[in-house]
Amino acid sequence: MISGTFNPSMILSILPEISILVLGFLVLFFDLFLSKEHHDKLGWITAGGLGVIIIGCLLVIRPNESVLQTFAFGGMIRYDWMGFTFKMLFLFSAAITAMFAMGMEKIGKRGEFYLLMLASTIGMCLMASAADLIMLYLAIETTSIPLYILAGFITQDEKSTEAGFKYLLFGAMTSAILLYGFSLLYGFTGTTQIYKISNIIQSGGIPTELSFGVLILVIVGFAFKISAVPLHFWAPDVYEGAPTPVAGFLSTASKAAGFSVLLRVLLIAFPEILPYWSAFLVAISTLTMTIGNLLALTQKNIKRMLAYSSIAHAGYALIGLGSITYDSFFGMSSVVFYLIAYVITNLAAFGVVAAFGRVSGSDDIAAYAGLSRRSPALALAMLVAFLSLAGMPPFGGFVVKFIVFAAAVQANLIWLAVVGVLNSIIGLYYYLTVLKVVYLYRSEDEEKPLPIPRSYSLALGVLVTGILLIGIVMAPWLNLSIKSVVSLF
Amino acid sequence: MIPISWYLILAAALFSIGLFGVLSRKNAVAILMGVELMLNSVNINLIAFWRYLKPEVITGQAFAVIVIAVAAAEVAVGLALIISVYRRKNTIIAEDIDLLKL
Amino acid sequence: MTPLQIIFIIVAVITLFAAIKVVSSRNLVHAALWLILVLFGIAVFFVILSAGFFAAAQVVIYIGAIAILMIFTIMLTRRVARDSGAQHNSNWWAAAVLSLLLFTGLSWILSRWQGFQSTAQPMLESADPLRQLGEGLVAPGGYLIPFEVASILLVAALIGAITVAWERK
Repeated sequence: MISGTFNPSMILSILPEISILVLGFLVLFFDLFLSKEHHDKLGWITAGGLGVIIIGCLLVIRPNESVLQTFAFGGMIRYDWMGFTFKMLFLFSAAITAMFAMGMEKIGKRGEFYLLMLASTIGMCLMASAADLIMLYLAIETTSIPLYILAGFITQDEKSTEAGFKYLLFGAMTSAILLYGFSLLYGFTGTTQIYKISNIIQSGGIPTELSFGVLILVIVGFAFKISAVPLHFWAPDVYEGAPTPVAGFLSTASKAAGFSVLLRVLLIAFPEILPYWSAFLVAISTLTMTIGNLLALTQKNIKRMLAYSSIAHAGYALIGLGSITYDSFFGMSSVVFYLIAYVITNLAAFGVVAAFGRVSGSDDIAAYAGLSRRSPALALAMLVAFLSLAGMPPFGGFVVKFIVFAAAVQANLIWLAVVGVLNSIIGLYYYLTVLKVVYLYRSEDEEKPLPIPRSYSLALGVLVTGILLIGIVMAPWLNLSIKSVVSLF
Repeated sequence: MIPISWYLILAAALFSIGLFGVLSRKNAVAILMGVELMLNSVNINLIAFWRYLKPEVITGQAFAVIVIAVAAAEVAVGLALIISVYRRKNTIIAEDIDLLKL
Repeated sequence: MTPLQIIFIIVAVITLFAAIKVVSSRNLVHAALWLILVLFGIAVFFVILSAGFFAAAQVVIYIGAIAILMIFTIMLTRRVARDSGAQHNSNWWAAAVLSLLLFTGLSWILSRWQGFQSTAQPMLESADPLRQLGEGLVAPGGYLIPFEVASILLVAALIGAITVAWERK
């Protein structure tokens, strides 16, 4: 019989989710009662609300360590640093995405857009802290289903509707496979609690091939979310067609959510077969980096190029996952650290693309010619974001790449680190090609103004500062990452 | 009595048929039907495990309820997107969405 | 062979045959009708598994809502549905091989499980799974959070579906 009474302190463990829900209702309310010309304020309400939630959570929950590392609501939710770190990351990217969205003609004035984005954010937050397969499956779907709509949000645009449609078909298929894996996991172990599964696998004598087979089904679902090869092919089409802020959200928050789940499930439920899955992930990581980078080389459209680049970045983060060993937290924390820097950097990259695309109406790389003269500030933000993606010092991307490769070396996977470095060189080439167009090429459009709304300047300013902060002072971020993975166990 | 293996094999067969439908169909509604088959096979698994493992613990049933709710949401959104694509392009043949093409 | 086993086999054969028709029929309206038969077959299995609530939910939600919704969509897009051309893409044989491999692999994995041949314990007279389920879904120590989140998901899906399907002037 299920027992358990309600304990007010349990509220703390889902405070971010509850606050987002309240914010969602506020947005709905304002959507109804705000006059038409004030509808562009909805983005500020969303972004500001999310900012308040972040600050509130940092003040209320963070110091209250007694709440942390406990199970709440019958083991559905585990409240730990891991979940908290990722939740803050998701809230941050949602706030930034709202600021980018409000400058877009067709999405910025629609209350539904912000509401769906908030619903998806609730799903991500729950993904990061779910400790039960039922909760986890539901959280994954709560993240994905609103995202399908967001990708297809611009119904007047053929490309956008098609992006939403493709994303849905691939997503529905892979999530069904994932779910089948979950159902077998529940059947074989008799429990859906992630933290109990590993004990039962150990004591119940479930053969290795059984748990590995189930794990493959589960990894299929996660590989789709993080767009790892061979389940990457949806990403370029969807990113290209989806509204640019949504593409940025998909490639950062949604991907980070996939990794947070992957970390928890692999490390907590399947520690027995660590050598098997880490070898498997090393193979996927090598393929993902290489294919992502090679295909990025030939792209003419900047959103497609960023899509392939974000596939490659999933590969780099997977290096960290493949380098996990029993005796050190280094591999795991390198993944978390990588994701923090990647999310901030890639949001900036998509922000620049959105700022440029909303004025010029084009996403072709060739259209960026002369951008440095048209808008030096935007070109500078682009320079910072792209060099950070390429892994150049002194930006955040350099530090985290270094740490991930160091984790590979520490796990005796020196060849993997070498593959990673070679891939970074390919990456550097295509990022620099774009920067060359921006800084060296001339075009007739140079005299045309490129107005940048206030929300973009603010968001890009915050992101560029973040990239520099990670690149220059890395200790607090690394400590946070280590604290997060330690709290997993 | 029926051993649990019968249900599990039935569910596996249904799941594979559903996957075949998803991968081979051209029409988007037909692809969604394949997904429905896959989700239903999961529900057979869940209810069979619930009944054969520990019927006094309702975990499997609770899981199945959630799966049904998610399936409903997914289909509603999926069909809405299909109609939206149909309006734009006058077709819902996923010609270029060959799901096996890498 | 007990009568129950015979019923199982008959229903299973019908269900699997219907499932194959769902993925192979050229006419999508037919495919949808076969889907309804599959869903109905699964409802019968739920009855055999003494999960009456799910049998009812299967009929009401899957057949009554989801399958009908699909038929509506087929009708709305019927110029395509009646297409006499091939309904499978050129890679259908690869999909068939993959599905067969998956089925073989899954059966092998399942057969390695030690509980594979286990039979069900008779249900206790006092057991009331429906009541337990109802209480479990709203108990803070049970499935309260998934239950609430499912409602958020359904609302979001509702709003989203209206947003993309509603043609604005």
